[in-house]
Amino acid sequence: MQIPIKCGCGGECQEWTIVEVQGVVEVQPAFKDQFQNLEIGLLCRPSSQETYTFTVGYHELTGSKVPLKKPLVVLKKVENGTSDQEIVAAHKRVELEVVGIIRQRILFKTRPKALISRPQQPVVKTLSST
Amino acid sequence: MMEADSPERLCEGGAAAVLNMAPGASISVAYHPQFGPHDDLMLLEVDEKLLPDVLHQRVALRGQQEEDAVLCTESKTYAVKFVGTSNSVFLVPPSEQYEIEGKCGGELGLGGKVRASVLKVAQGCMELVEIAPRIDKLKNLLLERPYMSSDVEMGDSGEEMGAGLYGWGDLVEMVQASDEELRRGLEVLSAVEIDGFWRVVDEQYMDLILNMLLHNIVLNDWSFDALNESEVMEVLKSDGFSPDISLHCLKVFGHRTVPDLGSSIWSLEEKKVCVHFARKVLRGGKKKMDAFMEEWVKKIPKGMHVSFDMLEGEVLTEQFGIDTWVRSFSVSSLPYNPTERFTILFKEQAKWEFKDLQPYISDLSVPGSSLEDLLLKYTRRTQASVDSEPVFSAR
Repeated sequence: MQIPIKCGCGGECQEWTIVEVQGVVEVQPAFKDQFQNLEIGLLCRPSSQETYTFTVGYHELTGSKVPLKKPLVVLKKVENGTSDQEIVAAHKRVELEVVGIIRQRILFKTRPKALISRPQQPVVKTLSST
Repeated sequence: MMEADSPERLCEGGAAAVLNMAPGASISVAYHPQFGPHDDLMLLEVDEKLLPDVLHQRVALRGQQEEDAVLCTESKTYAVKFVGTSNSVFLVPPSEQYEIEGKCGGELGLGGKVRASVLKVAQGCMELVEIAPRIDKLKNLLLERPYMSSDVEMGDSGEEMGAGLYGWGDLVEMVQASDEELRRGLEVLSAVEIDGFWRVVDEQYMDLILNMLLHNIVLNDWSFDALNESEVMEVLKSDGFSPDISLHCLKVFGHRTVPDLGSSIWSLEEKKVCVHFARKVLRGGKKKMDAFMEEWVKKIPKGMHVSFDMLEGEVLTEQFGIDTWVRSFSVSSLPYNPTERFTILFKEQAKWEFKDLQPYISDLSVPGSSLEDLLLKYTRRTQASVDSEPVFSAR
């Protein structure tokens, strides 16, 4: 089987990015089944340096913008064959399409610092409008 | 109009909002309306050097269901390894992709708050490691049905037609190698494309046509170094050999010299012809050196000369008392997988001196490893004394 990697961007790919934190962000049980649109946290760039804070609930993380040593391409699996019949017919053609490229990420590699007072922003998970 | 429960209006800035934050700015990071597992999205780490190949559609994943996928460029093969992470990797697409309401227009963050939405939490990414092509399968495929002769081919019944035959398109689907490596592999196997299928030609059939060619050279008083392609083809055709096969014979046992006006001129290579006959002599099993040499010389066409050096990587010699025995052991019959290669080598002979071993491993190529690295990894090196030749045995 051969899966060609297609790219419609002709060398100029849409740039995606990554916000990376240690561990796992858990959504409060009340929102478990509907966390689309839910705010995860507030990302701030306090100064002209490439230092960032990320406030999630009562926790504050400090990190920085780092270029990736090797870029990441975002691939999307595309299955060709418009009808079910075509898909059944032995040769289900699968292609991978480059939909974006990631060159930089905001990385928070430290443990979170607990905020003593309630943060000013309403970062406790709430549903924002759609 | 704002909805009642909406604390403030947010516009979607996507990845650009994260990457282009002004000093003092803040943005809300939220789950995308289409947030989900998105198993169809994956991350592939690509070297800057390889990136143009990926962006200009010159790469493909190759492999059968049961094989680990490899990524092939025009000329190289890479293993694809999934590397997981325990971090939470929030993937933020540009606001233009993945339909979302309320995109920020114009200058980001001017008046009103900006949001960047996370589409997926990536579990890790795929990394690429350059590897040697998994080319051994090519030989197995082509050996399923060697080309015997046009008569045998014609005689095949209808239902069998196509079984065990592979065209370029089939090979690309089945062999984990880049196009260039695959072409090289076909060349090393002396494969020939006949009626759209890549074939190896049965050794006895090759022997038949070579003998016919040599016979015609004598008959027509041609020179080994100046064989006129069209004349050769014409004569062999009358002897019942197809043009494909005749040309293949010239390629296997010779090379094109200057292309004459209208027709190419070929030169037969003494070594290739002699090695063919040495193999033939040893097909029945090992022989005493004297007997072997005598029989070999007898088979060689007049005007050609044998030398034992020609058989490097083709035969092994063994001392029994005062007799030296010669047996066939061709490097071309060995797998390219280094583990398998060394296993077979040490099974054939427990101890090797470097000069004997060298012809049997010099064609191995493992990206990132030199021949010395391979010896270190797969052999044990011993030296009886400081000045004596090192001997290699199995680890």
